[in-house]
Amino acid sequence: MTAAGPDLAGLDLASIPARIQTEVERAIQRSIKGVEYMSSAGPSLGSTPKDILSSRGTMNLYHYRPVADEIYRVPILIVMATTNRGYILDMVPGQSFIEFLLKRGYDVYMLDWTAPKPEEKNLRIEDYVLDFIPHCVEQVQRDSGESDVTVIGYCFGGVLSVLYGSIFADGPMKNLICFTTPVDFREMKLFQNFSDRRYFDVDHLVDSIGNVPPEMILSSFEMLRPASRAASQVQLWENIWNDEFVKSYRMFDRWATDTLPLAGEYFRAITKDLMWDNKLYNDTMTVGGRKADIADIKVPILHAVAEHDHIVPYGAAKHLITKIGSADKEEVILKGGHVSLVAGANAVRRLWPKLDSWLCERST
Amino acid sequence: MADKSSDPVALWQNMIGEMEKGFNAFANQAMASPQFSKAVNQMGGATAGAQKQLGELMEKYLVAMNMPSRAQMVGMAERLQSIEGQLNEIKAMLHQMQGGANASGGYSQTRRPPRTKRPPSAGGEQK
Repeated sequence: MTAAGPDLAGLDLASIPARIQTEVERAIQRSIKGVEYMSSAGPSLGSTPKDILSSRGTMNLYHYRPVADEIYRVPILIVMATTNRGYILDMVPGQSFIEFLLKRGYDVYMLDWTAPKPEEKNLRIEDYVLDFIPHCVEQVQRDSGESDVTVIGYCFGGVLSVLYGSIFADGPMKNLICFTTPVDFREMKLFQNFSDRRYFDVDHLVDSIGNVPPEMILSSFEMLRPASRAASQVQLWENIWNDEFVKSYRMFDRWATDTLPLAGEYFRAITKDLMWDNKLYNDTMTVGGRKADIADIKVPILHAVAEHDHIVPYGAAKHLITKIGSADKEEVILKGGHVSLVAGANAVRRLWPKLDSWLCERST
Repeated sequence: MADKSSDPVALWQNMIGEMEKGFNAFANQAMASPQFSKAVNQMGGATAGAQKQLGELMEKYLVAMNMPSRAQMVGMAERLQSIEGQLNEIKAMLHQMQGGANASGGYSQTRRPPRTKRPPSAGGEQK
């Protein structure tokens, strides 16, 4: 058999010189780009033009400047998860959910969070559901001149939006969109084990340190897939010659490690009411003495969940649609994980167009 | 092009992927045990206690050294934040005034597009 001849046990011998040359070139590029990677800053994130409408401690309400000549009547308020920064939804041009919505003619507001300060350790879940969200909804109404508002909640932002929607069931929320929102917290099995009430003394933790530090939140997320960080670094090294891969890696890595602390009292309530007593699923949840029953929500709802979500498994999220009182309700299960559902190439192809086609009909 | 089963780079990537999955599955199984929860939370509880004691000790040390305490620094930060907040309010008022006077430049209510957009199916427009 000659070197140019076809395969030996599936090996195309003719392609070997070309492969070796490619790998040598990539090895050289890895060395050059590796130095560049270490010495350069990451891409600028969250740069879609916006104005701050209201700011109070950990709470910030932004309005993104419309770019379309004509916009839908109903404005959107996005409620971000309290553990992470909102720029996951506004990465870079071409990969920004916010930019996508603006170009499709929506008027977009975002309730985003900064790290609660030590003196904000007493913020309770009531402050988020009965104060911050209603305050932002009022601001959106005032700023837009519209009485109706569509609320979009991501992850725990979805839980807060559901609590808000069930308590303020008479309005002004017109539509509700949730991304990967857990309802049955028993199904978050590893988190359940980490916070096992026999061993996890949440009172001691909160009384000792006040706000729960971001390192603790981050490590609890990373423990769900302990090998993934090391594997992603190997993947980065392999692909460091590829500028697009590196850019994407840096964006997601920066966001994933930019975790926020949680206000102590808020964390205590989440642990006791949701992780331990599973009150949202058991229909016994109250916030500030007010009953929060998912069945009371009657507005149109779209719930997008990810097929391979390791943080909020489908078993934890699926009950939102079955429990909600809305007649107009839809659940979509899309390929991807907890983050790739909402951001990145996967989201651009799958979730965003689906959301647009669902929402445009309900935004007039 | 060699098929994936004989491409050493693809084999290497596949192996890393499989190792990641295998280790994650193994670790998840181990972490699901009550023993794991007990051990982690005992360690975490001790750390939180130590952190509290250290904080109190530092506070006393700073007072003895005649240096500003944490509470005083927090107070200063609050004052600064309040000043920043007032600046933001002034900025917002200026924008509103600018909009009211229909001035050029800047972003204002008067420059916002009309809320008349219809869904593509209803209006027949292109996406």
